[in-house]
Amino acid sequence: MDVVVCVKHVPDPETKLKVAASGKTYDPDGVKFTIANTYDEATVEEALRMKEEFHFGAVRSVSVGPSRSEEGLRATLAMGVDEATLVETPPGTVLDPMLVSRILAVVIKDMPHDLVMVGKQAQDDEAGEVGSALGEYLQLPSYSFVTGLTPDAASHRLKMRRYLEGGEEVFSGPFPAVISLQKGVKDPRTPTLPNILKARKKPLKKIPLQEVLSKMGNMAGGTTPTSDIASFALPPPRAGAKIIEGQTPDEIAEKLIKALKEEAKVL
Amino acid sequence: MTLNVLVLTDQRGGQLKRSSLEALSEARRLVGKAGGGQVVAGLIGQGLDKIADEVKRAGPSKVLVVDDERLKWFCVAAYATAAHRLIEKVPAPLAILVPDTTLGRELASRICAQVGGSVATAATEISVGAQGEVVAKRKVFGGRATETLGLKGIAIITLRPNAFAVDPAAQGDAPVEKLPLGDLPPAAQGLIVESVVSTKGDTADLTEANIVVSGGRGMKSAENFVLVENLAKVMGAAVGASRAVIDSGWRPESMQVGQTGKTIAPQLYIAFGISGAIQHLVGINNSRCIVAVNKDPAAPIFKVADYGVVGDALTILPAMTQALSKKP
Repeated sequence: MDVVVCVKHVPDPETKLKVAASGKTYDPDGVKFTIANTYDEATVEEALRMKEEFHFGAVRSVSVGPSRSEEGLRATLAMGVDEATLVETPPGTVLDPMLVSRILAVVIKDMPHDLVMVGKQAQDDEAGEVGSALGEYLQLPSYSFVTGLTPDAASHRLKMRRYLEGGEEVFSGPFPAVISLQKGVKDPRTPTLPNILKARKKPLKKIPLQEVLSKMGNMAGGTTPTSDIASFALPPPRAGAKIIEGQTPDEIAEKLIKALKEEAKVL
Repeated sequence: MTLNVLVLTDQRGGQLKRSSLEALSEARRLVGKAGGGQVVAGLIGQGLDKIADEVKRAGPSKVLVVDDERLKWFCVAAYATAAHRLIEKVPAPLAILVPDTTLGRELASRICAQVGGSVATAATEISVGAQGEVVAKRKVFGGRATETLGLKGIAIITLRPNAFAVDPAAQGDAPVEKLPLGDLPPAAQGLIVESVVSTKGDTADLTEANIVVSGGRGMKSAENFVLVENLAKVMGAAVGASRAVIDSGWRPESMQVGQTGKTIAPQLYIAFGISGAIQHLVGINNSRCIVAVNKDPAAPIFKVADYGVVGDALTILPAMTQALSKKP
């Protein structure tokens, strides 16, 4: 049972953002990057947990992005992933999430993949498209927003949970499949120093973007982005809270309710 | 220029989601902006007669229904197959609007991978560009930035709940047409739902609620959390919680708001005893008005809040509940 985990190297959620000169994205200069997207980190942990509990085969990580993404993949290797693959994009390349899904599908088709796992969305573009799109491109079932999964090798099925609006669904489905994870059972492990050193020697393969695009064939959507970022903007920061004060809790409550009714008009 | 808009409505357990009505209203506005076209409502599921009745009065020009026992549970590949049946019936140029519910989000990109075109998820504004292309505005980076996307081909857009108004004047009596589902591909078979545990039937759905009242570590105990629920009751609000509350086992995971929980965008969000870790803030950033009550004047939540009270949540909560239950 082999698992492929897709990860994205993204800016730290607390980093300061500046709009790039193009007006279409952020300026990567001076931006602090996290080692991996939070949801992807949870997904790597979940894949490794299953490998340990259910004696899976290999766990492989895949990323699509510029050369700095190697750092994120190394982090997955330090957590315990066996091999990593980077589809390296030339600096300044703009892809949309659907095209990223097609690129991932081309690469994953060449790997053993009983399970393909992705985080539910990236922290930067928050698109949340890849898991479900990958399912279609790989002609596999996909299960999204999963919060916990247990494989049953005998029946070749996965038992899963997810929160839909208003209820928690306990369900099962066949695999091979693509899973997009809302959160894992455990918090992601912190790599130990020996594992970080070991990760340096683990295989990390780089494939140029062009090579993958040339193998794409006629997937719906093609080899160019279908959604163009027309503009990227930072709204003015919120001014900070207007502090409501009073002598007693009752007075504060009255004042706050009045402000919500008369000023903010939300009551 | 014209644009035809297919709205894929979302329903659960025989109830039409309000976000579906928001999408139908936005579809009518979008067709207006494009200079004409049809609004077609699409229904996918099992046992949809009652919902079809409701939808046909919400202003579409036509209602298309794929009603099949194989669609009883949400399996994205099966629903995408059904959506394909509907898409074949609506002429180009086409936009597809779907509520950004868990179901809608998953469906949008699977449809796009089948039929081509482009996707924008959790849009907060939709318009028509100079070349007739559909343009969607959406929040990114946890609400810290916005991007505007120009969409090529079939524009598939999920609509953030609460971001689009329901048109109160919408009415009509559109014809309802039933379409067969046909064969399902192998990827659309074999999903079995064992149980659905309803999460707190008496409180409103967090993601669709107009008002959300939330509690955090500052509530001090599971027992005290009742104070949050009491206020929510008199306000007709949904109840949320920070991760600390879930980790302490005070309330179930389904109430969690934030990065590993739900992303919400109510008109009013009131946070009691929540300091405002970035993981929480990304889940509430799109709220129209944020109120924070916290003992610590340096709590980061005061930076994003519109109104703040530096004080003890445990004393402010009952005072608010009392004040609001006095007056209608």
